[in-house]
Amino acid sequence: MTLPDLPHMDITPPSHSPLRNLSWVWLAPLFALLVTLGVAWKSYNDRGTLVTITFPTATGVIAGETSVKYRDVVIGQVEDVRFTKDLKKVVVAARIDKDVAETLPADSQFWVVSPKVSANGISGLSTVLSGVYIEGAWLPTEGTPMHAFAGLASEPMVRPGRQGTRIKLRSKDGSSLPEGGPIFFRGVEVGKMDVPKVTESGDSAIVEAFIHAPNDRFLTTATRFWDTSGFSVKLGAGGLDLSVSSLGALVRGGVAFDTTFAGGAAVDDSTVFNLFVDEDSARQSIFNQIGDEALPMAVIFSDSVNGLQAGAPVEYRGLRVGQVTGINAFIDAGPNGRKAVKMRATVSIDPQALGLDGATGKPEVLAFLEQAVQTGLRARLATSSIFSASLKVELAELPDEEPAKITLDADGVPVLPSVDSDLPDVTATAEGVMKRINDLPIEEVMNQAITLMASIEALAADEGTRAAPDALVKLLEDSRALVNKEDTQAIPSELRGVITDLRTVVADLQTRGAMDHLASLLESADKAASRAAEAAQDFPQLVADLRDLAAKAKALKTDELVASTTTLIDSANAMINTDAARALPADLSAALAQVQAALQELREGGAITNTNAALASAKDAADAVAIAANDLPKLTAELNDLLSKADALVAAYGAKSPFNAETLALLREFKLTAKSVTQLARTIERNPNSLLIGR
Amino acid sequence: MAHSRSPQPALITARAAHLLACRICGRVHPAQTRTCLRCGARLASRDKTSLQRVMAWMIAGGFAYLFANIYPMLETTTLGKTASNTLLGGVVELFIHGSYGVGAIVFFASIVIPVVKLIIIAGLAWRVRFPGKSSAHLRHKMYEMVEFIGRWSMIDVFVVALLSSLVQLGSAISVKPGIAAVSFALSVAFTMLAALSFDCRLIWDADKDNEL
Repeated sequence: MTLPDLPHMDITPPSHSPLRNLSWVWLAPLFALLVTLGVAWKSYNDRGTLVTITFPTATGVIAGETSVKYRDVVIGQVEDVRFTKDLKKVVVAARIDKDVAETLPADSQFWVVSPKVSANGISGLSTVLSGVYIEGAWLPTEGTPMHAFAGLASEPMVRPGRQGTRIKLRSKDGSSLPEGGPIFFRGVEVGKMDVPKVTESGDSAIVEAFIHAPNDRFLTTATRFWDTSGFSVKLGAGGLDLSVSSLGALVRGGVAFDTTFAGGAAVDDSTVFNLFVDEDSARQSIFNQIGDEALPMAVIFSDSVNGLQAGAPVEYRGLRVGQVTGINAFIDAGPNGRKAVKMRATVSIDPQALGLDGATGKPEVLAFLEQAVQTGLRARLATSSIFSASLKVELAELPDEEPAKITLDADGVPVLPSVDSDLPDVTATAEGVMKRINDLPIEEVMNQAITLMASIEALAADEGTRAAPDALVKLLEDSRALVNKEDTQAIPSELRGVITDLRTVVADLQTRGAMDHLASLLESADKAASRAAEAAQDFPQLVADLRDLAAKAKALKTDELVASTTTLIDSANAMINTDAARALPADLSAALAQVQAALQELREGGAITNTNAALASAKDAADAVAIAANDLPKLTAELNDLLSKADALVAAYGAKSPFNAETLALLREFKLTAKSVTQLARTIERNPNSLLIGR
Repeated sequence: MAHSRSPQPALITARAAHLLACRICGRVHPAQTRTCLRCGARLASRDKTSLQRVMAWMIAGGFAYLFANIYPMLETTTLGKTASNTLLGGVVELFIHGSYGVGAIVFFASIVIPVVKLIIIAGLAWRVRFPGKSSAHLRHKMYEMVEFIGRWSMIDVFVVALLSSLVQLGSAISVKPGIAAVSFALSVAFTMLAALSFDCRLIWDADKDNEL
């Protein structure tokens, strides 16, 4: 038997999945792979955007180390530092955080921050240790980000996004515009200056400046800037004024501004402010501001306008009412057909300065001026200050002028009638000053000195002065005459009496038969002779006394008088003119006349007569020696006595006489005065300005 | 005596004797026993997934090691300047600074040992799968060495951990562990696990097959 055919069965072993034996451990490498891939992807994804920044130089920038910062937060790192193809610039490639790089606009600014020490302070100190970094500044913007930038050489004055106003400052002297210098408003630093540049025309320096918000709201076109650097010393009527803004500003320099009058227009980027040298001139310029609504007028001058400039003030009663806006020349046909060049100054009169409303005041001003011109208002040139040649236009009220009125010129501009300036020759700068100096009383002083010299001359030439020596000679002569005069021989009454007695005695002797007594007489005569000899011995003394007398008369200080007068004339370089000095010759003459009179009196007086008589008697006595031998010595003694008295008399007019003393005192005073005048002259020579300041 | 240098063909293995030892407590069971009668552990004459696991851990360790070499191990901040060092970079820097001894230690601990370890384990696994002529004893030795030396690779991780915890002087100098430190630690751990996963009995089998 055969087994029935079993149907063929396809038996397939259960398929063994290769995954069946797969261990769970495989999750570990899978996980590791995932993590690795994840990290790799993340790091690639987070990798910053590569931006390139082109710098002129890249001091201290190191690839892989130097970081890029924005608002002092690291946003990236420098990856590569290379050159441009022409080697002219350095290209710094930096990875910037992706989300930050997305906001980079085309005008982003990048600069290298390095330590910097300047008058404005120390910055970037942190980079000393950590090395430089690149700082970026931009205004984050959405849109297509840029990836290539031009770096700045230094930190920009204003970072993008800072609120404020950008202006320009112009100054003749760029040194008052220091780079990065501060700008002060009421002593608070509110802005900063950029690097100053010379203007295209080369006539001044200009600098961009930035005033931060909110202080830029004080800026208008009426704002004035002035230099605060350094200090200012001002000598004025108020005395010495030293002003130092602050030590910081002294070192760093800087400018300040202020807006004191309202009405300025808004400021924009193109506004250029002129820098004034100091606060005063800045403020002054504010007062000098002429509003926009000014009345244009013209003034025609026939004399030189040298010194008149556009901007020169127009003043009315000392108040600035307008300014000169322009000067030009034109040929004018004169009344007699002669053509002449005349100067035409265009001025603008500010109605606001006259207290009128700017917009509606113009016709009023014109009406006022028309009326004023009829009563003598004229324009004329005047110097603006004694120390400068600059001119201003003065509206002067001259009622005596010929009547005139305001006319309209070809352009319809009202023309103010003018008069010639009362200072037509003021063209040179120093002339005004010289005029002032000319006007100083120095001339008067000189005149007085000259007058004094003349007076001295006159004093010397005066007959009285001339008479003085004469009088002195006369005095001497008188003295001599006093000695020699015949009157001197006149005997005093008592002397005469004595001599009469003597004669009587002699007569008696003769009558009484003198023969008896002849011998005794002879003896007496002998004795008398011997006495006469004795008396004769006294004669030289008499002569000596007389000489003494003459010498004393001579020593009557004539020398001193002459010497003093010489000194006086010598020191008469500069003298004062006094009545006393003028009266001096007269006084001196009078004094001398008095001396003469005194001598006259002396001559006429009994004393001199007596003396003369005594002296005459002496001769007689000598003659009558033989007769009055006994009494001769006594006579001689008396004579001596008399002479000594006369001597004393003359001596009284000598050294110690009040006249002499007074004359000497007078001369001494004269000398002192002369000395004082000399000192004054020297002082003026040394300090001519002492005349100005009165010291 | 069990360990004789020359192979002993007459020696019978437990597997041949249809016996099975528990790897946990060491009790010997009949071959069919599934769980250990003493400790309840799973019993298997040979771990069939051993090679798989070795490979898996090895690959994971390789990835981690690669990762550890790319990323910085240390981030040193000195006076504001931050410098980061990879493993190899740190070794090179140590040599540049003249610290040859320390450099050599670090080089061996963090480069040579992990790499050698991976190679040895890979070689052992390879030999189990595709038996060759190499000495089973040598392979046993190598296995022992890998198991022993594996933990020493952690020296690098310890150095980083020590440095970053000790050297913290604010902005003057500070040390931070980089991401590579973690991956290096993982790599070491993974290779150690790979070594552990390797069932050394497979070496015997391979030997036996070789002898047969």
